[in-house]
Amino acid sequence: MALNPGVELDESALIRAAQAGDQDAFARLVRAYDQNVLRLAMNLLRSPEDARDVYQEAFLRVYRNLHSFRFDCSFHTWLYRIVTNLCLDQLRKRKVRKEESSVVLTPEGPLDRMDAVQEDRVDGNPQRNLFSGELPTKINGVLEQLTPRERMVFELRHYQGLRLRNIGEALGTTEEAAKNCLFRATQKMRAALGDFV
Amino acid sequence: MSEAEAKNLCTGVRDQLALLLYGELSFDEEEIVETHLDTCAECRVALTRQRELHVAFDRLQVEPPPSLLRECRAALGSQWVGAPAMPAPREGWWDKLVHLITGQGPLGSGSAGHGFSGFLRPAGALTLIAVGFLGARLVPTFSTGSLSLGTMGLTEGSAAHVRNVETGADGRLHIMVDETSQKVISGGLEDQQIRAMLLAAARDSTDPGVRAETVELLTAQAASGDVREVLIGALRHDQNAGVRLKALQGLKQFAKDPLVRRTFAEVLLSDGNPGVRTQAIDLLTQGAGSNVDHDLVGAFQELMMKENNPYVREKCQSVLASWNASSEIY
Repeated sequence: MALNPGVELDESALIRAAQAGDQDAFARLVRAYDQNVLRLAMNLLRSPEDARDVYQEAFLRVYRNLHSFRFDCSFHTWLYRIVTNLCLDQLRKRKVRKEESSVVLTPEGPLDRMDAVQEDRVDGNPQRNLFSGELPTKINGVLEQLTPRERMVFELRHYQGLRLRNIGEALGTTEEAAKNCLFRATQKMRAALGDFV
Repeated sequence: MSEAEAKNLCTGVRDQLALLLYGELSFDEEEIVETHLDTCAECRVALTRQRELHVAFDRLQVEPPPSLLRECRAALGSQWVGAPAMPAPREGWWDKLVHLITGQGPLGSGSAGHGFSGFLRPAGALTLIAVGFLGARLVPTFSTGSLSLGTMGLTEGSAAHVRNVETGADGRLHIMVDETSQKVISGGLEDQQIRAMLLAAARDSTDPGVRAETVELLTAQAASGDVREVLIGALRHDQNAGVRLKALQGLKQFAKDPLVRRTFAEVLLSDGNPGVRTQAIDLLTQGAGSNVDHDLVGAFQELMMKENNPYVREKCQSVLASWNASSEIY
């Protein structure tokens, strides 16, 4: 999601225009980031309804508070701070409600994250192939057991490709704390999945 | 190294393998892990397994369906139109004082404020003048020392650039200033001078905002060859994606024109912005239905080979499917 310097230059101009009330500039800012925001929310929350709510609320907060953005961090970091806070709130509620499911309800019908996994490895080891078939279910189970913060850091590092420094900034913590969080998450997953790979 | 120490080292290294793959170890940590991996076959196997685990994670990623993104965008558009406008920056104490005395609300607030009313306003205005006068008399040393345009003898609306500074024999400073004057030219789009300036601004302005606005204005004149040429140039070469999108929109009405069509196909394969590529797909396929455009099949197949954006890929794939064409080049 890193932008090249030319784009960053354009982005500053867009932000300033949006701060001055230019709706078109704001729409272009939204377009630059909204796919990634939706992907993050969808992968973390696994529900299009919740992902849509996070999307709406995040960009409305950006809209209402853009005037207070002072360029003391990147817009990307600022936006992710808003989005991750909203997602963390949802995840914490989920922890209470325990309503996680691997099935995502999409407008095209129910979509099971497990179906996204195609086991195409044939290595001649029947036991490992058996394990491979179970691996996605197991991974999903382990992801559910992570704390919301561990889950968030793992999602941002693995799927969104953010560096720990940026993750720390987005979550309002240090790079070291983010690293510890990722370490704990990967340890839990290795402990649970070690026999499956 | 004892067996227990070696075992501990292996455990420590295996704990770090995930962070190694993420490139998040410090230089020293990475050095220890890499050195150990060179000599420990079991840990190398563990690294291979960790890699396989990462591949399995990758496969679990869910892409939001394009329809969901469209829904979100539409809903957001309708919400922010109805949302309260972005609040104006907070007033400073001076603004508050001025508003209190003049009875005017902040600019753009449309409110009369809660200041003095009626006969007190002239008194308030006099107070402001007095404060300004006394301030200027009593605190001159607090000024930054910068010169205003007026004190420089330069006309308002001029941009000054200091070319040279010298100290004269009398100790006085002599500053050579380049002065660029600005003027406003008014007229309609049909005015030749206005049109020439718009064409030049669309090509050469350093301000992307000006280029975007100009390109949008020129869209109305896109039937002219010279305007269309500028729009095609902007679509091909402008650094700013927003300007390119405006140019694309401007050329929409000429999507059947061979040169415009060729340009769309070119940006489809070369433009770095997925929004531009998406629009190019829409314009190249608008009204085509299931009629196969054989010239474009190759371009779409080539796009499929290198496109990273899932949304653009899906669109491209769906066009190829509607043409009963393969998504790959054999």
